[in-house]
Amino acid sequence: MKTVFCLLMIIFLAFSGYHLSFRHFKLPLVARKFYLTGIEFLFLGLLIGPEFLNIVDQKTLNSLEPLISLLLGWIGMLYGFQFELAKLRRFPVELLHAAVAEGLFTLVWMFGWIYCALSFFAQISFPVKMSICIVLSAAAACTAQTGLALWTSFQAVPRQKMIIHLRYISGIDGMVGLLAYGAVFFFYPGTENIQPIGQFFVVAGISAGILLLYLLFTAVRLERAELVLIVVGMTVLTSGMASLANFSSLIISFGVGVCLVNFLRDKERIFNLLVSVEKPVYLLMLLFLGLNWRFDLIWYPVAAAGYFLFRFSGKFSAGWLLTRSNPGFRPHPYFFGFGLLDWGGLPMAFLLEFSRGFPDTATGHAVSVALTALVINEALSGPLAGRLLQRDGS
Amino acid sequence: MKDKGRDILLSGIILCVLAILALWAKSLDPGSSWQRAGLADFTLGFVLLAAHVSGRLVKTLRMPMISGYVVAGVLAGPFVSGFLTREMTENLKLFDDLALSFIALSAGGTLHVKALGERFRSIFLNVILQTVIVFSSVFGAVWICSACFGFTAHLSRLHIISLAVLLGVVAIARSPSSAIAIISECRASGPFTETVLGVTIVIDVIIIVLFTLALTAIQMFFSGGPGDFSTLIALCGEILVSLVIGALIGLGISFYISRAGHDLTLFLLLTGFAVTKISQWLGGFMLANFQLALHLEPLLICMSAGFVVQNFGRAGFQFIKSLDQAALPVFVLFFSLAGASLDLNALKACWPMALFLVVIRGAGIGVAAWTAGRINRDPSPHLHNAWMSYLTQAGVAIGLAQLAQRQFPEIGIYLTTMVLAAVAVNQLVGPILFKIALERVNEAGTR
Repeated sequence: MKTVFCLLMIIFLAFSGYHLSFRHFKLPLVARKFYLTGIEFLFLGLLIGPEFLNIVDQKTLNSLEPLISLLLGWIGMLYGFQFELAKLRRFPVELLHAAVAEGLFTLVWMFGWIYCALSFFAQISFPVKMSICIVLSAAAACTAQTGLALWTSFQAVPRQKMIIHLRYISGIDGMVGLLAYGAVFFFYPGTENIQPIGQFFVVAGISAGILLLYLLFTAVRLERAELVLIVVGMTVLTSGMASLANFSSLIISFGVGVCLVNFLRDKERIFNLLVSVEKPVYLLMLLFLGLNWRFDLIWYPVAAAGYFLFRFSGKFSAGWLLTRSNPGFRPHPYFFGFGLLDWGGLPMAFLLEFSRGFPDTATGHAVSVALTALVINEALSGPLAGRLLQRDGS
Repeated sequence: MKDKGRDILLSGIILCVLAILALWAKSLDPGSSWQRAGLADFTLGFVLLAAHVSGRLVKTLRMPMISGYVVAGVLAGPFVSGFLTREMTENLKLFDDLALSFIALSAGGTLHVKALGERFRSIFLNVILQTVIVFSSVFGAVWICSACFGFTAHLSRLHIISLAVLLGVVAIARSPSSAIAIISECRASGPFTETVLGVTIVIDVIIIVLFTLALTAIQMFFSGGPGDFSTLIALCGEILVSLVIGALIGLGISFYISRAGHDLTLFLLLTGFAVTKISQWLGGFMLANFQLALHLEPLLICMSAGFVVQNFGRAGFQFIKSLDQAALPVFVLFFSLAGASLDLNALKACWPMALFLVVIRGAGIGVAAWTAGRINRDPSPHLHNAWMSYLTQAGVAIGLAQLAQRQFPEIGIYLTTMVLAAVAVNQLVGPILFKIALERVNEAGTR
């Protein structure tokens, strides 16, 4: 019964919340940023989760697993749909190189720092250490367009070319993080016996099966109700198969999304369907992440501050390097990286999947530190992005 | 013809691919919690997709899609392939409740006061005649012939009479969910459709009263003393309270539609689901804390809410349109799970008796529907096809049988086995015949 009430409450909150969030209320920038990005749902999850009110306990959370899988699959597909080759080709290839380089730089930078920090401060086994390093650095490598969208919707921004560059990088660099994140499924205890080559064939087989099914289903014109049924059914099926194969549903769904957007006739209709519930899906994910947030240890804020600083320095350095090495980026200010601080939904999906896939103490600590850092980041990234965008223009 | 062949081929290939994936999933040993969760997700996705494709496949054979959903459920269920185990089916019951409340909202929303007023005589006659004739024929047949079947031959006279009474009452039960699903799929409307829907829903309400009456009578029978009629009075009170609560919720839904109106489908799904679950919880809560047995009927509440939205506000059209948008996934999941729950072991154990019951019930329904149509001077096609619309049975009949089993364990196992077997037949045959009836009276595709 508790599961039912929790499910009702969670869906009700997401349902009502997304009509209230993302609105342009006159609030101070920091508060507005929190409100508009839905971060309040993270706190709501924390409040109703095991840490405080315990309305949604661990057992209940486990029984809501199909809903979490649907969310992860949905986000993966949606992200994959951004990689339509025809649209990507409209931009010069240098931009693609810049985005990948920025993502890779931050990934390696973060990996190094986190590995050192964990080696000094945490007594954990090598596989666990590696997986935490991979997840946290992969999450740090991603960038979202939230801050840019916020600024450009509130006031005119003079540097239109810089906005285009920032948006492009924000859309692409998550792919680097996502692909790196997949490695965690070969390191974590319990999955170390999986042979990468064998696993590759299993994942390829699953993806081929899913793509074949999509092609067969969409070979005839579908009514909207049928399309809803098929997309929901396929997303849950894909997530289920990925989990059965001990792999990430996010990555397989992402791959499926990329293939669909490039090869499927009905891609527009599927994309519109995915986007139509993007906000509730995002808020539900924040809520579920909040449920996994812990404050067991006093050093969380310190570790989170460290994580934020590493990421900030990584993004700042990556931005600076771009403005020095890439001719297209030379006109931009040296603190170009200030526009790349927002996190967005994809890294949160990594954290959610990681915490559900490998539930143990070390994972819980890592996710909690990352979530605390996320809140710090959300508070500071807005003003920093504003500083970059307003330069010369105010 | 070419399109039809292509559809069949396509559906066949999809089912083959799904079957291969299912075999792969079944061959794995889910060791971690991550994999176990994956298996549950895979099952849910598989059920949705396989049932939908089966529905499409049978549609090309001019059969109703819900028959395809049910057959897919049977094939995937614990009695045939075993892909869906009993445990998995139980775990997916959450979706069952969601679907049932949604269907009840639809049922209420499909009833129009004006049309009901016009069809009142016909509905009234059908309800009375079907209740009396179906009950009498099944009661009489079981009483007289049970000695001829090995399954019931050794029962005492008292037990046979009790069994006959209960089977007679359960035989009156219909499946509003199946009726709504077929009407929705065929896009049917018209006097015949309205009468069938009206009769099915009214019987769904009075069956609860009749069943309680039957239980009280059998209690008197067994104990030899006067029965406790306070239960019956309490039941009437609960029905009334359920209808009033439903009306209030209906007004709330109308208010929401007029003031906000966005994401109505999601809102309605949640409302129906919340009503079902809160009613169930309230019953347990009142009993545990106040020793008060309060059984609000969630289906009645939802039907009443749907009826109020449709008839006492301006939101009826929007309400039905929103419900239609979610109808397909809801029906697919609900009927495939219903198929997986059909007890084929019961059918195997007592199929001669079950077939006998199905035939007697069908004959009783036929006589009652024909007589009602004749008195009402219905057109000839209505007169000859009405019986086909009332055969489907599902959850209500099984629920009633299980309730009786708890009260009278001596005969309960016979009752439940026979009801499960008869429902298996009725649920497979009923939808097909109902669709044929709607086509024959030219009301399919008129909405």
